[in-house]
Amino acid sequence: MYNDKNAQTIVDYIQNFTRKNSLFMLAYGTGCGAIELPATLTSRYDAERLGVRGAATPRQADLLLITGYLSTKTLKRVIRVYEQMQDPKYVIGFGSCTINGGMYWDSYNTIKLLDKYIPVDVYINGCMPRPESVISGFQELKRLIAAGKADGAKKYKENLEWYRENQKKVLKNWPLVEYNW
Amino acid sequence: MNTILIQILGALATILLAFIVGMFYGGAHRKVIARIQNRVGPPIYQNFIDVLKLYSKETSINHGVMQHMGPVFAITASITSLMFVPILTDGNWFSNLNFSGDLVFLVYMMVFGSLGMALGAGQTGNPNSAIGVTRGLSQMVGYEIPFVMAMVALMTQFHTTSITGMIAVQQQSGTWLMFSNPFAFMAAIMAMLGMFSYAPFDIVTAPAEVSSGPISEFGGKYLGMMMTSGSIFAFVKLALFVDIFMGGASNLVVLVIKTFALYMIPVLYGVISPRYRTEQAITYFWKWPLFFGFIAILYAAF
Amino acid sequence: MNSLILLLILMFGGALFAFILNKFVPALRDIFVVLLMLGVSYLFFSTGISNRLNFDVLGIHMQWGFTSASYLFGIIVVVLGSLALIYSTAYMKGKDRLGYFYMNFLFSIGAMLGILMSRDLISLFFFWEIMTWSSYFIVIYSGNDVDRRGLKYMIFSAIGAYSMLMAIVIVNSFIGSFLLEDVFASIFAIGSGYQIAIAILLMIGFGVKSAMMPLHVWAPRAYSESPMSYTAVFSGALSKMGVFGFALVLFNLVSTQNWLINEVVAWLAAITSVLATFYAVIQSDAKKLLAYSSIAQIGYIIIGLASNTYLGVMAGLFLAVLHAVFKSTLFMAVGAVERQVGTTDMTKISGLIRRMPWTFVATLISIIALAGLPPLGGFVGKWMLYEALITSGHYYLVIMVFLSSTAAFLYSYRILFGMFLGQEEPEFAHVKEAPLSMLIPMLILSGISVLSGSHPGFILEPIQSAMASFGFQSNLPHESWWELTVLFNTWGDKVALVNVLTSIVGVFLIALAFITIKGYKNQRYVTTKDISSSGEIIQPEDNMTFQIDFYKPFERAIWPLLKRKIDDYYTDFGKGLEALFDFVRRFYNGNGQFYAIYVMAFLALLLIAGTKYFGF
Repeated sequence: MYNDKNAQTIVDYIQNFTRKNSLFMLAYGTGCGAIELPATLTSRYDAERLGVRGAATPRQADLLLITGYLSTKTLKRVIRVYEQMQDPKYVIGFGSCTINGGMYWDSYNTIKLLDKYIPVDVYINGCMPRPESVISGFQELKRLIAAGKADGAKKYKENLEWYRENQKKVLKNWPLVEYNW
Repeated sequence: MNTILIQILGALATILLAFIVGMFYGGAHRKVIARIQNRVGPPIYQNFIDVLKLYSKETSINHGVMQHMGPVFAITASITSLMFVPILTDGNWFSNLNFSGDLVFLVYMMVFGSLGMALGAGQTGNPNSAIGVTRGLSQMVGYEIPFVMAMVALMTQFHTTSITGMIAVQQQSGTWLMFSNPFAFMAAIMAMLGMFSYAPFDIVTAPAEVSSGPISEFGGKYLGMMMTSGSIFAFVKLALFVDIFMGGASNLVVLVIKTFALYMIPVLYGVISPRYRTEQAITYFWKWPLFFGFIAILYAAF
Repeated sequence: MNSLILLLILMFGGALFAFILNKFVPALRDIFVVLLMLGVSYLFFSTGISNRLNFDVLGIHMQWGFTSASYLFGIIVVVLGSLALIYSTAYMKGKDRLGYFYMNFLFSIGAMLGILMSRDLISLFFFWEIMTWSSYFIVIYSGNDVDRRGLKYMIFSAIGAYSMLMAIVIVNSFIGSFLLEDVFASIFAIGSGYQIAIAILLMIGFGVKSAMMPLHVWAPRAYSESPMSYTAVFSGALSKMGVFGFALVLFNLVSTQNWLINEVVAWLAAITSVLATFYAVIQSDAKKLLAYSSIAQIGYIIIGLASNTYLGVMAGLFLAVLHAVFKSTLFMAVGAVERQVGTTDMTKISGLIRRMPWTFVATLISIIALAGLPPLGGFVGKWMLYEALITSGHYYLVIMVFLSSTAAFLYSYRILFGMFLGQEEPEFAHVKEAPLSMLIPMLILSGISVLSGSHPGFILEPIQSAMASFGFQSNLPHESWWELTVLFNTWGDKVALVNVLTSIVGVFLIALAFITIKGYKNQRYVTTKDISSSGEIIQPEDNMTFQIDFYKPFERAIWPLLKRKIDDYYTDFGKGLEALFDFVRRFYNGNGQFYAIYVMAFLALLLIAGTKYFGF
């Protein structure tokens, strides 16, 4: 399923085709980035034509979109939401804050690099990234899915220890629920 | 043996037809909404991709056996209702069990799925699911009454309770029942708005209020099966309305044209409407639709 | 000895013996009552309907014996009675005053059999009173009469009994005989006004027991506060005595010229069922919900009987049998939950499905039958009722029935969700499945519900002979219904039950197999605390189940209908009477001088009036 492109069978090909063309997106609207999403989804930029549509709960979602900085308090919710999503699942880090903390680079209670806590498949750079760049991020993710390379979930499962360690570093006194799927 | 085989093949063909038509209609719904909002919109086959993806998605968790069976109940109700609705007026290929059930049975069969689904939603323990279910059931009490009034009016007018009987009436007289008893048609169409639960009656799955309500714990294959069931069920409702009010369809092209025209009523009404509160939705159905229903029965009886 | 007398002696003697046995050897009591009831059942089934017993008491000629109609109701009584007693042995374990309880239990079952076998009005009334009293004693079983529920029940029963007595006296003064045969034969010879009066008075008497509006106010509390093992019989069988009485009155004492009575009764029953359903929807206690639901369901039965068409009466009797089956199952299931958990308040219980799976299965099946969904028996009854009403031209009545049975989905879901679904709480983690002697009656009764859905013939056969004894001739395309699994109405439209069942079960199994096999390896159960909740981690002690104000939006929509309860009218009536008596008491104030003034005033009045009008 997660093989490289040369080894893809026809079933994998169809699966990846459907997966890349039907992305149910759970937009975790933290920070200021959430305001870019309405523009992305509505008349002007219309992400739905690319198969991206909103999902209401993590159970239905394929794609977790983190729109901005994450305080440690929010981080545990994000981890929770990510763990509740079903395989295959993808994460897009949105804006500079998810890459290096952005303008919160020296803040005591925000995380700086999202990839240390949950596996990010695609980063969208910018502060703020405009809807065009959000859409290009979607396209990049679709390219990765088609190539069978969007394997963040697999990475998370394999390196769970490492991720848990990082998570525990910032989330003090937090009883983390077992990752059970 | 041969007849049973043909029956099963016919049933499968019917299911496939209903699935494909329903899926395309779902896509058309999204496309129409997009065009009215001045968007390009997803391709019309988008729902097929969605369903395929949902089936291929891993679904490893459930909250118990009732949740596991919820979507099964839904699809059972859809397919069983489909078996009892005449698709085409002539030819044996799509006449599955058309002569074994009547309208009263069908009205009950059509709520079977939502109740089974409600049980599944209940077991997830998600408060949003339960809220969605209570909304849906309350709304159902609202729209079932005008719908049943329209049906009773037609039954009394033409002295038959079977759908095939109603088609026969229309073929003999040459007029569609929507012209024979226009009040019943009005009441039934208004009830149909609620049956499809598109806006302004999308209070059950309102994503912004109850995070998609009953289906909030359902993902992957469960959601896929429910989408399948939903599109088959949409086709069932449309075919039923076409059979009753628009004289049935003699071939597939006519069927598609008629059902699509009918389908556009809730879709177009929905795109320009916001969402009602639950009690507003109930009282909506208990005002004009109920009035039309009363008139329809009077018109039919006297 | 005639088996009818033996039946009654066994019941009433056995009841007294159970009371005495409980004093001395309590250990044998349970076994004794169950064996007694099984023996009586055997005796009942071996007693034919041709058995007649004639005798004279104080110069009044009396007759006992079963007709095929009363035999049908008798089957309900003995089957339910036996199962409820088996259930009782576990349900009542460890409670006080069991001798008292079982004595009254057996008394009321015996009285019901007595009512069914009496062929004259005097013994009917006699057994009716025994039934009232024994059920009253069980309603106040817990000792303290909370909310005067027992008093309410007694007052309404007394009203009913008096009007029955009055009707019996009127009948006798015209006909000169108490025998039902004579009454039925010569009732139409007397004046039409008296006919209507007799019918109405008798229907008040029977309406109280069947809890018909506006005589139902005793029912919700009486049903919900008596021990559940008795309520199963109370709602399942005892209220059917009222239905039986209604059938007697509507079919034998009301001539076809007085069709208005039928219409009025049907409409009253329809309003009863709609309002009771609405009240059931807004209840949060499972017992009260079921109590209101019983009132509503008996509404359907009486609508069916009052429709006075072959199909309608058949639907009414079928629903009567089926209501006895599924409603007693539901009361038993609620009783099981009450016994295992300690409460039936649905705002407190949740998520018992994995703790009490068999109780859930029994409840689920009965609820499907109650809601009237295919392919279970409830659908058969509902279908026949609708078709009967539509084909006989009761257009608006059928809408009322539809409204009531659609709204019934709401409380059907409520009771399943409230007790069994929702989040599983650690406080209920210790709850065990109900004992086997409670489960077996429930599962037997649910089995009957299932079977009656595809092959209703085994219930329709005794119903058809009962209807023949009521004087109905089949006007339907098929004579022998029990051989068929296809339902027909008078227009020739049909439902083929086996096809329905095959289709539903077939599709269900295929879809279930598909959804189970797909991804079977990775399938696992997660707790109901592990839900999508915007990322919040729900702790085991957090109860997220949605239970309070469950149908608030619906309640808001129907609020204008619920503003005034019938109960309030009675209370107002009572208050008005009190005010009247208060006013009267001002004259009788106990002061001798006032009385002297009254005497003087009266004399003066007499003088003035006498001189003016009578001229002395």
